[in-house]
Amino acid sequence: MLSFVPLDVRHKIWGLANRILLALAICHLTPFTSAAAEREPYDDRYCTTCHGTDGRGNEGIEAPRLAGMEDWYLRRQLKNFRAGIRGYHPMDTAGIAMRPMAKLTDDSIADIVAWVGSWDYQPAEITIEGDVQSGELLYGVCATCHGMDAKGNAAMGAPALAGQNDWYLVTQLSNFVVGYRGRHEDDRYGQQMAAMVGTLTDESAIRDVVVYINSLETR
Amino acid sequence: MVNPVSRREFLNLLAATGGIAAALRAGTALNLLPGSASAASLDLLNLGSNQRKIAILGGGISGLTAAFELSKQGYDCTVLEASHRCGGRVLTLRHGDLIDEIGNRQYCEFDDEPHMYFNAGAARIPSTHRNLLAYCKELNVELEVFINENKTSFVQDDNMLGGRPIRNIDYTTNMRGFMAELMAKAMNSDELDAPFTESEAETLLSMIRSFGDLNENDLYSGSFRAGYAEGGFLKHGVQKDMIAFRDLLKSRMGRQIMGANEGDTGPILMQPAGGMDQIIRGFLNHVGEQVKYRAMVTSVKVTDKGVNVAYDQDGVRHSLEVDYCFNCIPTHLMVGIDHNFPSDYVTAMKYVRRGEAYKAAFQAKHRFWEDLDIYGGISWSNTKSRQLWYPSHGIHKAKGIVLGAYDYSGGMYHTLMSQEERIEAHLADHEKIHPNFRELVEKPVTIGWHRMNHMLGCSARWSRNLGRGWTHEEETLYHTLQAPVNGRHYFIGDQISMHSAWQESAVMSAQWALSHMDAQVRAELA
Repeated sequence: MLSFVPLDVRHKIWGLANRILLALAICHLTPFTSAAAEREPYDDRYCTTCHGTDGRGNEGIEAPRLAGMEDWYLRRQLKNFRAGIRGYHPMDTAGIAMRPMAKLTDDSIADIVAWVGSWDYQPAEITIEGDVQSGELLYGVCATCHGMDAKGNAAMGAPALAGQNDWYLVTQLSNFVVGYRGRHEDDRYGQQMAAMVGTLTDESAIRDVVVYINSLETR
Repeated sequence: MVNPVSRREFLNLLAATGGIAAALRAGTALNLLPGSASAASLDLLNLGSNQRKIAILGGGISGLTAAFELSKQGYDCTVLEASHRCGGRVLTLRHGDLIDEIGNRQYCEFDDEPHMYFNAGAARIPSTHRNLLAYCKELNVELEVFINENKTSFVQDDNMLGGRPIRNIDYTTNMRGFMAELMAKAMNSDELDAPFTESEAETLLSMIRSFGDLNENDLYSGSFRAGYAEGGFLKHGVQKDMIAFRDLLKSRMGRQIMGANEGDTGPILMQPAGGMDQIIRGFLNHVGEQVKYRAMVTSVKVTDKGVNVAYDQDGVRHSLEVDYCFNCIPTHLMVGIDHNFPSDYVTAMKYVRRGEAYKAAFQAKHRFWEDLDIYGGISWSNTKSRQLWYPSHGIHKAKGIVLGAYDYSGGMYHTLMSQEERIEAHLADHEKIHPNFRELVEKPVTIGWHRMNHMLGCSARWSRNLGRGWTHEEETLYHTLQAPVNGRHYFIGDQISMHSAWQESAVMSAQWALSHMDAQVRAELA
């Protein structure tokens, strides 16, 4: 159709057409901010860059699974990161990395939570080994809030654990134990959790309890 | 006026001479200059009517190299680029550009003029990077010289001379003078010149004298090389006062200053006129129609016959079946994308660390450095901002863009700050060099590569063996990742090189993969 037009001009026309179509598509599908009409738009739906395809988690960048996460839990954590209630400790490197990612408006958070809810959920890959029987005994305390089946309890503010990336559970339990998470004065639920990890006295106990969670049915 | 070299300094020199002798025994090692294989060695088979489909994941320099070369030979290429632009870490910022740093989105507000740009990623092309230069030539990318070391620029260290900035030429002239005096003293001692014949010792001594501009007594007493305190043209020049050796030794910055024109920055350096992304534009003039923007790869599955790629674009999941796939998605992000790579591959992908480099730039309201006899080059300071680059281009125009920070190793210091904190840190740092820096600049941009959308890291870091080279295990992991999966999927990019952070490495990684694939295609067609 455009064969009479020189290649570089064709490329420009193509580029322009693409930008118009793209701008229309983005206006239609996602919220965006733009300082001026001609400026490149951007949106806040960047989660999957780190959290992986359909938010299934990415160990390579220490970003946990978001797919399957309860909307109330996701909302709370995003707001905690935004307020600096989470990711405040210098040793919590992944938490610190997350904080600027959560510089979001309430509208963006609502959009992201809805978006996450639309993702296809598949069980997480099992990456760690441990003693499942020892883990079952240790899990007794956890079950109080997170449920016997580790599927969470909204009333208690306790999220599901089954189906989460096991390496992430290990990191977070360690963080609660050593005080990298759950010590902020405004982190009510985090403090609640920090008070509950006393039985996890060493690394192997943490691994065992996560191996037990791995053994539970996911969804 | 001239202080004698102390006994301690002399003893240190003895040890140093032993070191040189040992290095001499190493012989040929001294001939090794970092260089790349000869350019234009790529000889791909033209497919004619035997068309094959190619997916290229990522429109950085390696991906575009692959698209360009394969398109020339009749391959049907699709480039999937996750962001709104091609180039990756080849990023030139101009008026109105989006800086897609997550948590710190900015639009560049520089004046809208051709010379008002900032190369926020790749910025220098050494003359030895033959493969990249060959593309610049083929793509008609006009090059100009990049001024890296500039003797009129400043060196500033709070520990040295009360923090007063001195010219690079004052630092290096005096430092060389004192070093030469030490070396000459050593050569005049019987024990130390013993390894050399009389003729060798004489040659060496004459070079040492010339290196440091020593006087007839082999002492350093200042040098006109540092320029004149006054006069020099219509009147005789007056020599500047020496700076005491001990004062210079208060700073450790000689490690950077004395080696600024060595290694990768030893050859003549160049930049494309108008911005580094002229190279990207050059490629896109040929393969621009093959690029899909804002297309995020969600799955890469290698089969017996090819590769199935899925990607999201405009809220729709698309799929693409191809014969071969070239992938320059950063390995740390690829781990989170669905794939069916073998486990040793995944281990290697997870091993690579993300680079943390950080850059910042300001628009200067006028070219204040030219009033100080500075045209291009770098001022060095012992601050976290480290470097202040004066532009090599736009000489004598009204304004210019200065690089206000380049932290290539410990970039998280600034990355962790808010935009306001970053800017304040650079203003405060550079006020030590240019006292009214704060009033001279405006419209800052900052780029924390660790947080740039769709990259989340600067150049790949393979070696964890800090400064001691790669371990055997790291070499194995590297070769695992370089090898194709099932002969169908190739990782490319400077991440698949042993010298990351250079465009040449990205180009060469792509060329290596293309040659490897070409051999397979030739075998199939034979």
